[in-house]
Amino acid sequence: MRLSDRVENGIVIMEPKGKIMGGPDATLLHDKLHEYLENDQRQIVIDLAKVEWMNSTGLGILISGYTSLKNHNGALKLANVTDKIQSLLTITKLITVFDTYDSVEDAIASFSN
Amino acid sequence: MQKPMITGNRISIPSTQEYLPDVDIFIEGILRGYGINESIIADIAISVSELVNNAIDHGNQKNEEKRVIVTIEKNSEAVSLTVTDEGTGFNPDELDDPLAEENLLKEVGRGIFIVRSLMDKVDIAPSKKGTKITFTRALK
Repeated sequence: MRLSDRVENGIVIMEPKGKIMGGPDATLLHDKLHEYLENDQRQIVIDLAKVEWMNSTGLGILISGYTSLKNHNGALKLANVTDKIQSLLTITKLITVFDTYDSVEDAIASFSN
Repeated sequence: MQKPMITGNRISIPSTQEYLPDVDIFIEGILRGYGINESIIADIAISVSELVNNAIDHGNQKNEEKRVIVTIEKNSEAVSLTVTDEGTGFNPDELDDPLAEENLLKEVGRGIFIVRSLMDKVDIAPSKKGTKITFTRALK
């Protein structure tokens, strides 16, 4: 998995690419998320368009980011959730936890609402 | 440092997540050779990764001297795989329900649940010499 990220109008956009299955790559995503949090970034969008699939390790990282941000009055949102990840979120009932959006732009706009 | 070993439709790796991609490449390559559609390939690959992670972390306790073995075979109706570790076994009946309200936001504990959701049949055979999980996905 590779990871790119940028800041747009104060909102962090993270774009993992590949598969999130565990190991050093997954640690990269986890650590980057928490690095932003430590630098007082409270609004983060994860663009999942280029994630082929993830397993429960990937879900655990998303949950970790979600709860950490929520506990600091911030928010983690998901954009471009693929069918495979949508299916996983539904199976695990995590679809009731995360805010998901059809585009990064929609996710960004939701922070203003 | 030990390395992955491949023999026919079998791969064994030392117990480190460093070799997760090797297992994934091996399994997906075989599945594509079988002509299976990409959605089923993804479901199987996810399931393999879940069980291999468990075998590394829980079964073999990340002891790199212990190995995780994955096998795969196919007949006209289904693909069948096994993941085996060298641990001391566990009781699958003692796993928490990841859908329970109190567990929903836990970062771990949903791997076997996901495998059971994606595969058509899952058989867990723990023993004091290791755990062997056999899982099957029908070909539709």
